Amino acid sequence: MISDEALMLEFQRGSREAFEELFARYREPLYGFFRRRLASKNRAEDLAQETFLAVIRAVVRYEPRAMVRTYLYGIALKLLAAERRKLSGNEPPLEPEHEPQENGLSEEALWVRQALEKLDPGEREILMLREYEQLNYAEIAELLRLPVNTVRSRLFRSRMALKNFLDPKKKLHGAAAGGAGRDSARDESTARPTDDEE
Amino acid sequence: MSNGGHPIEHEELMAYLDGELATERAVEAAAHLEHCRECQELAAALRKISQEMAGWEVERLEPADEMPIAIKAALQDRPGKPRKTGKSLGWKILFTRRGLVWAGGGTIIAFLLMTFSVSRLKPAFAPSALRLEQVRRVEQLVAPTPQPSSGYAASDTLGKIKDGAEAGDDESDSNERTGVPTVPMIARTAGLTLTTKEFDKTRAGVEEILKRHGGYLGEMKVNAPADAGRTLTATLRIPAPQFEAAMAELKKLGRVEDESQGGEEVTRQYVDLQARLQNSKHTEQRLTEILRTRTGKLQEVLKVELEIDRVRGEIEQMQAEKKELSKRVAFATVNTTVKEEYRAKLEAAPPSTASRFRNAAVDGYNTVVEGLIDVGLFVLSAGPSLLLWAAILFFPARWAWKKLRRKAEEPETSSV
Repeated sequence: MISDEALMLEFQRGSREAFEELFARYREPLYGFFRRRLASKNRAEDLAQETFLAVIRAVVRYEPRAMVRTYLYGIALKLLAAERRKLSGNEPPLEPEHEPQENGLSEEALWVRQALEKLDPGEREILMLREYEQLNYAEIAELLRLPVNTVRSRLFRSRMALKNFLDPKKKLHGAAAGGAGRDSARDESTARPTDDEE
Repeated sequence: MSNGGHPIEHEELMAYLDGELATERAVEAAAHLEHCRECQELAAALRKISQEMAGWEVERLEPADEMPIAIKAALQDRPGKPRKTGKSLGWKILFTRRGLVWAGGGTIIAFLLMTFSVSRLKPAFAPSALRLEQVRRVEQLVAPTPQPSSGYAASDTLGKIKDGAEAGDDESDSNERTGVPTVPMIARTAGLTLTTKEFDKTRAGVEEILKRHGGYLGEMKVNAPADAGRTLTATLRIPAPQFEAAMAELKKLGRVEDESQGGEEVTRQYVDLQARLQNSKHTEQRLTEILRTRTGKLQEVLKVELEIDRVRGEIEQMQAEKKELSKRVAFATVNTTVKEEYRAKLEAAPPSTASRFRNAAVDGYNTVVEGLIDVGLFVLSAGPSLLLWAAILFFPARWAWKKLRRKAEEPETSSV
């Protein structure tokens, strides 16, 4: 199979087929990236499309030293940040409880999503990039402009915190008490790293 | 973070499960994980987290038969060529803070560069000085020869040519040190055929011109047949800067029958030779250094010495070529031919008539004597063989003769 980087260089030289192949490879992953981070399905689709448009516009500046995957998620992260700024300026962030059924998420998926939302945003991003986008530590470090060791320690912290939030006991408690359970979990998540460092 | 007596920290264990641990540590982690219950529990927990997270699946997009219209449009707008930025972008960027800083800095640097260049270029406005400098450099380059001295006569050929070449070599070595020539090196050649009535005077004139211009006679040949005019063929070597003047003077010595001039640029040849020479010298130095500092087997030492000999041979050959090249550039070559106008003279009697009679008489006597000697020699050499054959053939011949005679007589008697 032709590597992403070779396809990108082909596209840089004008090959439309190369772009079509890249589009086919990354359409779903990019949509998933935005879908898990935004409440609106349509916006996720739009932003995935925006990412490809940005690639088309900036392909002349692409240099093969960067992995295409990292390059694409770098653009996606910027678009996501802009979207979040826009959302926070216009309206309050979407509460996950508002449309859980509309999203068609299973109970398990909803539980994971709620647990993730309780994490520190920075640590959550690292964890999501690792688990859902399957990026390695170095790629995450490059994208977020962090040292690799920092990525590793934050990833560990976020996993430990998530483990706490996904505790079945809390799940039962959370289902009964809703927001109250989340607050208590958040308290534990802040306490957990200190426990690990002992 | 405390590792609680574990050789592998918990973070490292996580990195191991993620496939992000260096091989050495990964081996240790795997070994530790086999028997450490606490770490096994942690590993299981980490795996479970990943499994639970994987439970959040995103609905799949509907399979797209073709790309969205916006992307299609963008692709058509950019058929693989650098996208043109808006025309106004170039000017707009100047009004940003970064643009202003860049523009200001650029202007200052450009101003400083211009000031510096103008101050450096000032001598270029003194053409005569520059010309003189160029001429001086040309002379240094192309005249590695001795200056004409009073004792440097044209007739004084071979010995002084050698001296001149030697002196030239010293300067050519200095040229080598100065590096690449900055002016073209031209080896000039010319051919000149003159006809003169006063041959001796012209020959003296040629020598005089050579002496005055510091040249020398490369080769000279005079031919003086009895029934034709004399001819002088000479190769004159004239210092390149004096070439034009010398040629003008030579042409005045007689009627010019034929003239040709040419020039071969040898700069590249010279530079190439110089570079090869320097490389070989460096090689020689390195080899000498190796021989001096390193000890090895006798065979290896001998190999190095052989290599040094070979390199030295090359260096000497290249030095000789370089000398020859320098000499060709420094001295123009003029192949001169001076012909004497021949006039046939009327004489009362052909020259040497008595001698010719005497010579004819001597030749006649010699021919007679030679003939007698030849006959004597023939008799002595072939006589014994002839006698032998005569003895052998005498009796058969006699018998045959008699028989023939008898046959001839028999018909006469029968008819009677």
